[in-house]
Amino acid sequence: MKVAIGALLALLLWTGAASADALDRGAFAAALCGDAASLGNAAEAVTGRAADLSAEDLAWAAQPLRGILERRLVCLGTSAILLDRPGAGEGRSVVSGDPQPAAGARASVLGLRQRALVETADGVLALLTAPQVDVRAAGLRAAERRIAAVPDGVFARAEAAETDAGLKAAIASVAEAAALTSPDPQRRLAAIARVAGAPSSNALSRLSALKADAAYAADPAFRTALDAGIARVERAVAIGNGLAILYNGLSFASILFMAAAGLAIIFGLMGVINLAQGEFIMIGAYATYGVQEALRIVAPAWLDLYLILAIPVAFLATALVGITIEALVPRHLYRRPLMSLLATWAVSLFLINLVRVAFGTRNLQFTMPSYVSGGVALYADFVVTWNRLFAIGFAAGTLVLTLLILRATPLGLNIRAVTQNRDMAGCLGIPTRQVDRLAFGFGSGLAGLAGVALAPIYSVNPQMGATFIIDSFMVVVLGGVGTVMGTLVAALGVGQINVLIEPFYGAVAAKVIVLVGIILFLQWRPEGLVAARRRR
Amino acid sequence: MDRFTRRSFLTTSGGAALAVAAPAIIRPGWAADSVKLGCLFSSSGTMANIEGRLNYVVRMAADEINAKGGVNGRQITVSTSDPASDWPLYAQIGRQMLQQDKVAALFGCWTSVSRKSVLPVVEQNDGLLFYPLHFEGEENSKNIVYVNSPPTSSVLPAVDYLMGGEGVGAKRFFMIGSDYVWPRTINKQLKAYWKGKGIAETAWREEYVPLGFSNFQTLVNQVRAFAAQPGGQPIVVLTVVGSSIPDFLREFANQGIRATDIPILGLDMVEADLEGLDTAPLVGHLNCWAYLQAAKGERNQTFLKAWADYVKAKNVPFKGDVVIDPMVSAYDSVHLWALAAAKAGTFDVPEVRKAFAGLSFDDPSGYTLKMTAENNYVSRGVFIGSVNEKQGFDVLWQSPDAPKPVPFGI
Repeated sequence: MKVAIGALLALLLWTGAASADALDRGAFAAALCGDAASLGNAAEAVTGRAADLSAEDLAWAAQPLRGILERRLVCLGTSAILLDRPGAGEGRSVVSGDPQPAAGARASVLGLRQRALVETADGVLALLTAPQVDVRAAGLRAAERRIAAVPDGVFARAEAAETDAGLKAAIASVAEAAALTSPDPQRRLAAIARVAGAPSSNALSRLSALKADAAYAADPAFRTALDAGIARVERAVAIGNGLAILYNGLSFASILFMAAAGLAIIFGLMGVINLAQGEFIMIGAYATYGVQEALRIVAPAWLDLYLILAIPVAFLATALVGITIEALVPRHLYRRPLMSLLATWAVSLFLINLVRVAFGTRNLQFTMPSYVSGGVALYADFVVTWNRLFAIGFAAGTLVLTLLILRATPLGLNIRAVTQNRDMAGCLGIPTRQVDRLAFGFGSGLAGLAGVALAPIYSVNPQMGATFIIDSFMVVVLGGVGTVMGTLVAALGVGQINVLIEPFYGAVAAKVIVLVGIILFLQWRPEGLVAARRRR
Repeated sequence: MDRFTRRSFLTTSGGAALAVAAPAIIRPGWAADSVKLGCLFSSSGTMANIEGRLNYVVRMAADEINAKGGVNGRQITVSTSDPASDWPLYAQIGRQMLQQDKVAALFGCWTSVSRKSVLPVVEQNDGLLFYPLHFEGEENSKNIVYVNSPPTSSVLPAVDYLMGGEGVGAKRFFMIGSDYVWPRTINKQLKAYWKGKGIAETAWREEYVPLGFSNFQTLVNQVRAFAAQPGGQPIVVLTVVGSSIPDFLREFANQGIRATDIPILGLDMVEADLEGLDTAPLVGHLNCWAYLQAAKGERNQTFLKAWADYVKAKNVPFKGDVVIDPMVSAYDSVHLWALAAAKAGTFDVPEVRKAFAGLSFDDPSGYTLKMTAENNYVSRGVFIGSVNEKQGFDVLWQSPDAPKPVPFGI
């Protein structure tokens, strides 16, 4: 068996050497069904010959390669069978195209090395043969990922055959960048400029590697171009890293702000230290899950919009839970802060266990719509991830909503009045009890909104609330009790400082340093960053 | 604020004490003339999602043995508890079970720090703790049965695979772990191992995060920067635990890194961690265990079906189609204990311990578990798994036989 595969492989490599020959399809199909090494070598060989094999051969070879990645290629002995879908009972023979039963056939598991080789081969063949423009573009991206393994002629061939003008230009620029080690000095200079034009730390290490090249010492023009290119990339990478720090800090701050905003209102208004705030976030996330499941049944076509539809649902659901809990527990304890702290802690334990009994402890399964998965490399190494951007946008929306309600509605006026002087507000005829209840509901609703935004970022399970409660208290106390702007400034500061410290001292130390910093700050300024005007 | 009276102080502190003690209340399963086993697995806190299901597996294994007439003529009852991912609480509940409930053996702990906290308790009371997780080794107590593998028969084969030509020829290593004893010890051993192979210290980097950490943006940025430096293929050795694992994987995929660029070797990563994740961009990342759900063989199929049936029959709040290594190891633990007790003809710990020598058990992984008189380690097979699109692992490599476990020194 081994000998047979070895012979097939030798045949394949030999045909590889005689490049004008056609692809030996039988040997290729058999190699795909050999061991891991023979599969990898077959993929590598077909990539190496992609520039001069006939278009028919390439289109033919693209099928089984794509089949491997999609688990549609199975093997019976050394005969490869391509299925229509993974796990089908019957398929077509790769070599002859005749229908063939696939009972008892095995699908091979790709090792990492083989996966890289097969992905590259698949990308190159897609670029050369796929009829759809977007598939060809995806193929170009795959080929670009491992550009060193793609032979020179592939891009020239693809560019010549390309009909889409945009893609043609993209191929040309990739081809230009691929010529870093070309023997032609003009092409190398162009390649350096091209690589430096798309800066990243990968580009930096590719360019830096050229310093060891003989031409660097011999050719002054080459040296100047390379040094200039490296300097340009280094600058861009530094800027990109700066942007990344800002973005990471902003993203962390947005999470802190959302978790803390509701708390700031409740704490500021009633002096109730609501330890169940984290659980309101959890309830918001579970409500989001509920909306997703409901949509799955009612309108599967709209499933991707569940995050948007969950906004009002989560807000109302958590607000309702908040108002109910307020009526049951803290209402009786307003004059006893310590008791209300313990009581809300009990509420938090109760809610965690209630959800645990109802849903179990496992992480909830969310389908991630395309607008919150993946990311885009914006500049150099700076990647904007959609789920974080969603959270940032969400936090900004929450901020605007909160400020509008507090500043521009009668409810907000009442809340501010009661916060500043409860007794005087009561004397003026403001129903303080009712304001308390609505404000508690509003604060809980904000926590529910945080749950919606966090669902694409964190694992959603009954314990998730506990992660946020300490951080959000930290932010509220630092910001100054009861002010939304203070909470915002504190969240931005804590988020940004955390992210700045982390690369130097590690995540553990960052937490400690920030905490110590806050304690020291509060020694100096106990009322927090922004002090609320109030008379008690 | 109200004046702090003595009465209000007593009521509040009493309430607080009650609330703290509440999770520690043990739920025993009573039956006359039975032998009791105790479970120490959390169903709340950061470990709940993965530890919680082990309680049910222990019960299932006990039911299996009971259906065949029990052990030494007695039926098994299982007491479960909730140590709430709070390490000292494991020791407290363990002591309670050994001293008050007189359990014949304990089954429990996931993290090494919880095992370390139970260790003095079982040694003082001469109890038995069956520990179902692969771990950092460097420990050999006569009161703990190490049912899963030490690093020499789990982590090192996987690292060797990645460093070899069949893997990716890894040259550089970024170690990310939760900040406690298991990741730190594993990483220390790995560094010593690489040093022994003549790899320079500049080839690795080590970062730790607090338990339950989830904000991995900065770390993933650092991984990308590390990977871009020259010096050869980088890999990530991931030893974060609990809910940090899915959060890290999600950030890693979102920043556009694929397994073919930088593979992750997730030493504590199991099928259950992939629940709730879109695994298409994560295909190819690796883990290593003594059992994978995709293991071939009749025995595995029987076990998978037994678990699915049990979940349905008992309304267990976990998925019936997800089985992870520690579940199988917990299941093996109960059977090993029952075999030893039957061989000894008694439930006395010293007698049962003597009976471990020469014990063997055919477990769902397809390998035959063996114990020797030398120590309380169990020899297990080695699997290297690769993440697939369906939130599971494919078997990428498995050892030809079960290597002999080596407790100390790499």
